[in-house]
Amino acid sequence: MEVNPLCIILIKSDSKGDRLLFRYPFQVQERIEPTSTRKKNQYSLPATEDLLQSPPLPISNINNKGGLMGFTDEVLSSLFAVKPELCNQKFELKVNDVRFVSHPTLVQVRNKTQDESGLLLNIVFALQALASQSVVKCYYDLSKRVGVALRHEERRCGYISEQTQQMMAIHDDSCIGTPEIAFQTILEKCTLAKNINNLYEDLCNTGIVNIRINKWIPLSFCLPQKVHQWHLRGKIVEPEDIDRCTLSYRCLKALRPYHSLLLFYPLHQLYDFMSLDGSPSLVRMLSQYSPLKSLQTLAIDSDITLSQVFELTAHLVYWAKATVIYPICSTNKYVIAPDAPLHLNSPLIEKFNEAFPNVNLIRVISDFSLPMSLGQKCNPLCHPIQQSQLVQMIIWMLQHHLLLQLHTYVMYIPSNNGRLQHNMSEIKTGSYSFRSNGTNEIAGVYRSSRTESESEMSLNSGTPEPRTQSELQTSINLPNSSFTSVEEEKADYHEDLLLDFPEEERNIIFRIPSSSNSDDLNLFAKLCRKQYFLGEHHLEEIMYLENLRRGQLLALLDKFRDVLVTYEAEDPAIAMFLNSP
Amino acid sequence: MKAETIENLVVKDLFDDAEDSEDSFQKEGPTRCIFLCEFHPTVGPKITCQYPDNYISKELFDSVSVYIITKAELLRSTITVTLSDHKILGFPVRIDDKKYARNAYHFNLCFVCDSSSRTVHYEPVVMKLSDYLVAMEIESNFLSEGSSSTKLTPILKQVLEDLNNKGECALTEGPTATHLKVVKLRSNPTPVADHQVPIFIKSLPTQQWDLTTQQVAPFIDGFNHIARIASLADVENNLVKACVQNLVYYGAVALIPLFQYGNVYCTAPKLKMLTQDVNLQNRCLNFVARTYRQLPNLKDVFRMYAAMTRGTTIKDLCIRFNPASLKINERKLVQFGVLEGLIRRVHKYPVYLGESLELQKSMSGVSSMDEVCCFAGITAQQLEDQVERDHNVVLLWK
Repeated sequence: MEVNPLCIILIKSDSKGDRLLFRYPFQVQERIEPTSTRKKNQYSLPATEDLLQSPPLPISNINNKGGLMGFTDEVLSSLFAVKPELCNQKFELKVNDVRFVSHPTLVQVRNKTQDESGLLLNIVFALQALASQSVVKCYYDLSKRVGVALRHEERRCGYISEQTQQMMAIHDDSCIGTPEIAFQTILEKCTLAKNINNLYEDLCNTGIVNIRINKWIPLSFCLPQKVHQWHLRGKIVEPEDIDRCTLSYRCLKALRPYHSLLLFYPLHQLYDFMSLDGSPSLVRMLSQYSPLKSLQTLAIDSDITLSQVFELTAHLVYWAKATVIYPICSTNKYVIAPDAPLHLNSPLIEKFNEAFPNVNLIRVISDFSLPMSLGQKCNPLCHPIQQSQLVQMIIWMLQHHLLLQLHTYVMYIPSNNGRLQHNMSEIKTGSYSFRSNGTNEIAGVYRSSRTESESEMSLNSGTPEPRTQSELQTSINLPNSSFTSVEEEKADYHEDLLLDFPEEERNIIFRIPSSSNSDDLNLFAKLCRKQYFLGEHHLEEIMYLENLRRGQLLALLDKFRDVLVTYEAEDPAIAMFLNSP
Repeated sequence: MKAETIENLVVKDLFDDAEDSEDSFQKEGPTRCIFLCEFHPTVGPKITCQYPDNYISKELFDSVSVYIITKAELLRSTITVTLSDHKILGFPVRIDDKKYARNAYHFNLCFVCDSSSRTVHYEPVVMKLSDYLVAMEIESNFLSEGSSSTKLTPILKQVLEDLNNKGECALTEGPTATHLKVVKLRSNPTPVADHQVPIFIKSLPTQQWDLTTQQVAPFIDGFNHIARIASLADVENNLVKACVQNLVYYGAVALIPLFQYGNVYCTAPKLKMLTQDVNLQNRCLNFVARTYRQLPNLKDVFRMYAAMTRGTTIKDLCIRFNPASLKINERKLVQFGVLEGLIRRVHKYPVYLGESLELQKSMSGVSSMDEVCCFAGITAQQLEDQVERDHNVVLLWK
């Protein structure tokens, strides 16, 4: 896999010269000739045509076991003993198909006079060149962290000078043997080498690093590309801009107060994962955790602000400890996820059996071939125990990304040709912001026929607020004369309600029988104006934002079905948590 | 990367010309500078010639010269070093000859790009240009004579400008000529299966084709599947697959699932774009129309897409909507939806939970009904009937 490191190399350079102190893994270093691996029939005729046409084989520095090869220790140490100008910044070097990344750290040696130039320490990660920029960035970050920790330890107790001297001594003693023996001895004797060993193993196995440097400084690190691959079972997901900041940012942007947290692990395992000095609010939040609670409820129950709950959720998602779902309730519709690895040899079947004995995963999940809600699945005669088991099974399947929730979206299509042309351009530029600063507010304004100066004005005033009726009336320059002549017989409130709609749309809406009911029309106009019917908001979101009941909304959709088309799809905000870490 | 035959190379050239080069260069970034450096017998590594002049300062060069004039082990390796604002891509070369001061002449031709841009696609160009210079040096001491900067600068200038503007460059100076071309890197195409349907997503350039493509292309109409094309075109099945895979690689063809009236599709979040994107709307209406003279209206098209849910076959939809009266061609409607990602095919995966090992193997849940049909050589209806009868078979739709 291309996110795994090929090798971790430790280099030092000081006034006495540069030296490769340790590399892990050190067993695989023999150069395999590419020609010898290919079997060749000795009687075959050399095909001259092939010689001319086939391009020369690209040189590879990765052996078939996924290790580094073709570099001697001397070459490596000369490459990574960088000039002082390049120290304390990102260092990246690509040789053929291997990419080396590190943060060369200058360490001021303890018990030495200040004027000495100090010691350069370089922890280099060798990666496959195919690894994406985001992976490289993560490894750079890790190298930097190790460097900072080591520099601190040197200042505190001279850890580096002690370790480097020990390693050098072992190298010098075993100069007669192969370097592998020296590395083996170093691994047994030096704690820094052991740390590097653990680092490598952790990165290759789980992607989560949890080591203690010099038994003192804890170093935790998460390689998101690897960690999230684990719970997506090897499916390679690689958004281009996943790094710590953008991920948290995207996560925070996608979170809504009505979402809910779904942990991948039982609570007691999560407490183990938290270090002793972990955030107490995280503990408090987890103590109130339930996948049936929305984040807002969770915030109230654990007495933390909503924005902090968002931050903590984003944190847990980053560390692949949780995902975000819509709270489980009886109206949620679930289907099988398109990429669910459901087959007879899947280890998930066994795992499911352990959690729920005597139940077959395939049989249970086949009910979700068609969109199925919890309410549909349990009949009123159902035993409460069965019902709670069903909920548990759904939670299990959501944790393993086997199910997908479908939401209903509404699209407002008044005329046969959709919305009128001049509206289209406005929708694109329409002011629409959704902020997650704790007090979620929708600031969508249905803008119709706006003049140039007005839109500039609203830009200057920052977040536009829903305008009052009087404001709307002043900003309208529709051909009002024709409108009044056609619709004279209509009651006054109708004119008020739909005044900001284009005339054609208005006529179509008035042809719907329910439009004579002012309450219905009022609600319809309000939701339309707030741009809920553009396919951007699912029913649950509209319900949350407008404080409506499902029945009310469904009745409205039914009454105005001539202009409103519904369709089902997954929520892109939730899909973000599933598909990209 | 896929092994390329001569035919493929021809195709590649055609498409690179046809493609608008803007998107390929935006992300990848232009070359900023080209320089040649050599190992001087007394001064050591130094830049002999660069274009534009003084783009790489002497101090900067000294700090990275170890990666440019390298140790013997790293000769003829592509080496890229990324600095805070530059990326230097080089290919160190050594020519051994008694005539040189140290019995060898080291030089390296380097490309400099912005540190944020990708440079992998320049690697073959750098290698080829280095080999060209090696040939010139062996032939006529072009580089080591000392007067190289006057002769070389125009060459570097030409290469830099041509590669950045056109993506290719022909050097005809001196005794040999060479042609350089920046080739866009693409990911490998997935293998093509018998039951998939190729469809053109851009028109083919009218140049000469290799024989297989010439024979196969007329039958690619968005409805014929691979096995059918093979029999219609009288071309061996695997050759058709290779040809189609090649066209997929160059983005000329997309693969869509076979259209059947029993197929089930579901809507995707992207469906909302159909009402928001006017361009998409117009393309859609023109594509799905029965005749180009009478376009269907958007509301009907959208309603039909919106009605595609799990459990609703195209046959059901046709009965409910009667697309002919709405001026909609339902096959094209599905085609457009799948290509644009507005809808997605829902596949049925049979899983056998009984005892028979043979059935467990063929219906393990890995392969969909289509694949099972193709593999067993039976029609979809036959398989469906068989699955219906057997209570040990569970169908998963996903």
